Amino acid sequence: MTHSNIKSNLLTPTNEDTLGPYYPISLCDNDSMDLTKIRSGIINEPKGEKIIINGCVKDINGELANGCLLEFWQTNSDGIYRTPDNETHPDLDPWFIGYARNRTPDGNFTLTTIKPGINEELNAKRAPNITLTIFSDGIMRVVTQLFFEDESSNENDPLLRSVPEELRSRLMIKNDGQNEEGIKTYKIEIIMAGEKETPFFDDFAS
Amino acid sequence: MTQYGRTIEIGPTDNTSNERTPRHPLHLIPDSARASFAPYAPYNYGINPGEADMTRLAAGRPRADGDPIKVTGTITDQFGRPIRNSLVEIWNANKHGRYTHIEDQSGLPLDPNFLGIGRTISDENGNYEFWSIRPGEYLARPDIGRWRPKHIHMSIRGGSSRLITQMYFNGDPHNDADPMRILMGDNFDKNIGKEYDTPGKEFDCGYQFDIVIGGKNPTFFENDIA
Ligand SMILES: [Fe+2]
Repeated sequence: MTHSNIKSNLLTPTNEDTLGPYYPISLCDNDSMDLTKIRSGIINEPKGEKIIINGCVKDINGELANGCLLEFWQTNSDGIYRTPDNETHPDLDPWFIGYARNRTPDGNFTLTTIKPGINEELNAKRAPNITLTIFSDGIMRVVTQLFFEDESSNENDPLLRSVPEELRSRLMIKNDGQNEEGIKTYKIEIIMAGEKETPFFDDFAS
Repeated sequence: MTQYGRTIEIGPTDNTSNERTPRHPLHLIPDSARASFAPYAPYNYGINPGEADMTRLAAGRPRADGDPIKVTGTITDQFGRPIRNSLVEIWNANKHGRYTHIEDQSGLPLDPNFLGIGRTISDENGNYEFWSIRPGEYLARPDIGRWRPKHIHMSIRGGSSRLITQMYFNGDPHNDADPMRILMGDNFDKNIGKEYDTPGKEFDCGYQFDIVIGGKNPTFFENDIA
């Protein structure tokens, strides 16, 4: 069977649509933006360095984009994603999930997590990163991937290298000191549209 | 060499779409990074009994105003393989076009018996069903008189499958001017619930809304959906 044959047999997908302004806030009640706690009231913590990322999503006018639903996805500190094919991987951290979501009322967010790592075996060239999916009013789902500005591994990352050099800094989570408990803090600004727009990726065409 | 994918279009007459739609074409993802773009949501939803029946606040409570409807469908990937055990989140306006959302300041009438939020899970064959009240249309742009047609919001999440969409109703006079309907073009048909009779049932009618989740994400972890 040729490639085009396979393609023509595929079902036509249902169109994605906007989130609208009224995604029910309560549907996020069981979701957490603290990935260092696998559930509430548990003493165990994941391996790795705990970090806090303060971020925001802005529109073409530099205004905060209120009401977005944000989904975060990352590896553990050993560079392993918690996917079914990694279930028995020795470096899978049973105390880390790596998936967070939140509806931001005003466009700001705070993600408390573990700094994602690199796995030499599975994805040696991938620099530590966090995938971010944004659902919003006025637009279908958009996805991007964020990196840490101080990582030397960024240089060889195939995704970063595929983005024009002058745009790469827009994908960088920046150092922002530490909080009063000594936890390293970072910041990132996502610009949905306009001159300083964050690069977004096409996960349908690729 | 940079390669580009789709350019997202701005929904006509949709201010928020204008403010939030990236102008630059989307960047293609190199193969070696592609799998990392498929988030795998944990199956941690605790659904309470009655959440799929949005026509009442709870069993034994009075039914909400308006026409009760049933919505049924099958969720598959593009190969037709069922996407099972997926969380289906549903939200829609009441018969007057008002959401119970705290940020809906339209002032349209609330219904003391309608929450407008439901959840269910697709079964082993990818089938789902829920009951709701046929939503009302609402004026989205009073300045130009543009309405949002009747629609039900749905989010599907399970494993690496992810879709947020809206089900529309055939023949709604406001369909044609809807910004996202315009962008969907001929494919709008995929987002219409197909009406069927439910004789003898306490529902006005049923709508068949089969959902196909496109792209590669649902196919990355086939163990999960086979
Ligand atoms: Fe809506």
